[in-house]
Amino acid sequence: MKFKTVCRLFFLFILLGQSAQVTSHPLRLSLCEVEYTGSKQLLTINLKLFLMDVNEALVFDPNSKELAFCQPNESAQANQMLLDYLNQFFYVKANGRKINLKIESKKLSGEGDNVALGIFFKYQQHQPLISLEIKNAVFTDLFFDQNNIVYVHVNGESNSLMLNKKTTTHRLTF
Amino acid sequence: MTHNQHRSHPLFFLIILVLIGCTAKPSKNEANTETEEELVTRALEIHNRVLTVDTHADTPLRMIEPGFDMAERHDPNETGSKVDYPRMKEGGLDAIFFAAFVAQDIRDDDGNTRAKALCLQMMDSIVTSTERNSDIVGLALNPDDAYNLEKEGKRAIYIGIENGYPVGKDLSNVELYFNKGVRYITLVHSSNNDLADSATDPNGTEHGGISDFGVDVVKEMNRLGIMVDVSHGNDSVFYDAIALSKAPIIASHSNARAVTDHKRNMTDEMLKLMAENGGVVQLTMLANYLREAPSNPERDSAVAALRASRKPAGEMTREERIALRQAFNELDEEYPVPPATVKHVVDHIDHIVEVAGIDHVGIGCDFDGGGGIEGIFDASEVMNITIELVKRGYTEEQIQKIWGGNLIRVFKEVQAVAEKIQSDELS
Repeated sequence: MKFKTVCRLFFLFILLGQSAQVTSHPLRLSLCEVEYTGSKQLLTINLKLFLMDVNEALVFDPNSKELAFCQPNESAQANQMLLDYLNQFFYVKANGRKINLKIESKKLSGEGDNVALGIFFKYQQHQPLISLEIKNAVFTDLFFDQNNIVYVHVNGESNSLMLNKKTTTHRLTF
Repeated sequence: MTHNQHRSHPLFFLIILVLIGCTAKPSKNEANTETEEELVTRALEIHNRVLTVDTHADTPLRMIEPGFDMAERHDPNETGSKVDYPRMKEGGLDAIFFAAFVAQDIRDDDGNTRAKALCLQMMDSIVTSTERNSDIVGLALNPDDAYNLEKEGKRAIYIGIENGYPVGKDLSNVELYFNKGVRYITLVHSSNNDLADSATDPNGTEHGGISDFGVDVVKEMNRLGIMVDVSHGNDSVFYDAIALSKAPIIASHSNARAVTDHKRNMTDEMLKLMAENGGVVQLTMLANYLREAPSNPERDSAVAALRASRKPAGEMTREERIALRQAFNELDEEYPVPPATVKHVVDHIDHIVEVAGIDHVGIGCDFDGGGGIEGIFDASEVMNITIELVKRGYTEEQIQKIWGGNLIRVFKEVQAVAEKIQSDELS
């Protein structure tokens, strides 16, 4: 089930276009999918981030191999550094309660400058979901034009929103 | 200000052009009697007279930003927003295709259902925006709507779909989207879908171009009068579409590969076939599609030295990280990346005109999808394309074709083909 859920992540990251920055991947964008299935009392979060951005944010080098995410030699510090960063710029509150981010799994996809790091979180949400508050300002500390698409799927209903430096947070009620 | 912030402003750019003109030799245009300043004035008059159509903007992604108002003017340096209605007016942009885009996800019934819901939400956002701002824009469904709305002093808003993923495996969705106002569909995006192969899928080709289902989708698009868009498709998708479509096709945002070697751009052979097909290639303002990224060895050396001097990242305090980030930002400001410019854009136009002819090139900026370069950073600056075209000797008739005439011609032919197909079905 976990594998299938991880596979639900977008096969290839969004590359709508290209920016003028030579040392970067094409576009300042990330993708987040939040899903709640009441019958399973399960809340899942899939974050998909360009690996170059992750490396730039964490170790100041987009092409760094230092943390080696998802590689056999992945740094022992990699997950904690990633969480430390995410906790500054990202959260999900279910019914007003902030979820404690704990990485369930990670996955790399894509190639070249477009490699994306998928990060999967899973929680049991026993109470019916009344509200979701999502903050997603990842990489807005790096790029003024960073945009973060959030897809929300709750009990079969889908919604999408865009968060960025100006609008970091949004609350949905159900 | 973050390190890659853009500082351009349309008035600033125009002033620079005029100032340059004050010291420049008279233009070769108008029998060498026209100054640069006069040329700019003439270009702006032409720009104002012709219908200007941009065939690709991902602005619907902005429309789903909570609180984003298309009727307000936004500073592109704040969040990177490139299009709103006031800036369309400033730039003299008469019509635009807003693309409803859904990122490629898993290709099963569940994924397809979600993609359809998200796509419909985007379309509803577009329609709602036009309804809320009906004093300044109008939803456009047919080619002549752009001209009619222009006469009313309104901007024309067309709808496209970028990525055929929301079609899923249900052909009836094509008609559903047509009825919602969709007038082109980009068959595929950055990874393969059930319709076609992408130019950029890391797994390579899956269908060898357009899939069997994609063939049916193209036929349905022809029947309904939806333009077939081959941007983002691999080369085989282009050749399949050319062979298959009963109506001319478009590339809503692609450039010339002979000028900039990128697999999203079109080869000369493709450009010639596009001309034979009667279709149109819409030039896009994506820097890496417009010019080879220039090397910047001084910056590279300075960045490498800074990286070498830092503590291990895991041992840095928050204050140290902030200071180091600031140091990198200062380096970026000291050694800026040479930008793509309007000259690169018109270099591509020159080439396409040379290979395919003046009737087969147009403009599809890809604003809000990564498009935007020095001098054409957002919708308020698109007049600079016209200025450069005039500087290179393009006539008003030619500029009218580039800025919208060619696309409208194709759009009309696509509708004419649809009428014939539907008529033949009845008889």
